[in-house]
Amino acid sequence: MPASTIPGTDAAAQPPKPIDSRGPRWVGGYTFVIAVAALVVALLTPIEATIQGRLLSPEFILIAVLWLSFAAGTFGGNGAHPFAAFFRRVVQPRLRPAEREDPRPPRFALLVGFVLTTIALVLHAAGVPYGLVVATALVVVASFLQAFVGFCLGCQVYLLLARARIIRPKATLAY
Amino acid sequence: MQPWVAVLITAGVVALAAAIGAVWRATRGRRRAGDGTTFGPGDLPGLDAVTADATIVQFSTEFCSTCPATRRFLRHLARERDGVAYVDVDLTHRPELAGRLRILQTPTVFVLDRGGRLVGRFGGPPRRDELGAVLDSLVPTPEWNL
Repeated sequence: MPASTIPGTDAAAQPPKPIDSRGPRWVGGYTFVIAVAALVVALLTPIEATIQGRLLSPEFILIAVLWLSFAAGTFGGNGAHPFAAFFRRVVQPRLRPAEREDPRPPRFALLVGFVLTTIALVLHAAGVPYGLVVATALVVVASFLQAFVGFCLGCQVYLLLARARIIRPKATLAY
Repeated sequence: MQPWVAVLITAGVVALAAAIGAVWRATRGRRRAGDGTTFGPGDLPGLDAVTADATIVQFSTEFCSTCPATRRFLRHLARERDGVAYVDVDLTHRPELAGRLRILQTPTVFVLDRGGRLVGRFGGPPRRDELGAVLDSLVPTPEWNL
């Protein structure tokens, strides 16, 4: 049945193409590895006294890499995240076809990651002790759950906001 | 900071995540008590009658990855057991229904008794033992004539 025959929907409000649900889990694994490395390094050395020192510190650079990845996925679409692109080109062709899911909740989870890493970078650049540590710890927890448990914390937030009508998806949400 | 302290704190953060994950896995698919809502014929799409001893209602969506396996299992269960009916409700184009029934994940499974009272609900694929126990409590055990 074409979507245009369903009341309340039209061709312009088609739900986006579903994505392989293993993609977000691989992105979670990539995020987890980098965030854990940044957390250990940030805990090892006290925060640098000069802004140059802070901007060039290894934890700042690691989180900046994550921030760029999240920004690409948030603003360019799930597939624009560099590691999601790696999954689609290299990993997925080697896997059997499997479950697919709505891309909007995982994309919102990328936005949550983008916001958290933005907070980490801003606090670190401003010289706030343990600012980057706390924000990065949250990224570690969320990415661990995404990668190893298959539980997407950001997606749950998205569904709660959609149910409360704070977010209004253009086309019906398939969750 | 001493290297071992840094590693210990990081391990603690990962352990916290693992604990949250363990709780999520342990609660998923478990039976929760119904709130006493009663569903009559026509209250849910596809629910034409609630005259079976137990009616299993599965809520699914188009892109739900675990729905087809759950559907096969529940259909099989309804065929195998006397007095058990099965209804599948597609929520993809009915967000208002999902909101009203407070359904946040699919599959979600409701079990209704004869008369349509909600006696148990499962978020995620139901655990077989817990679903079986609800059905046992609703469907009279056949008496065997030896």
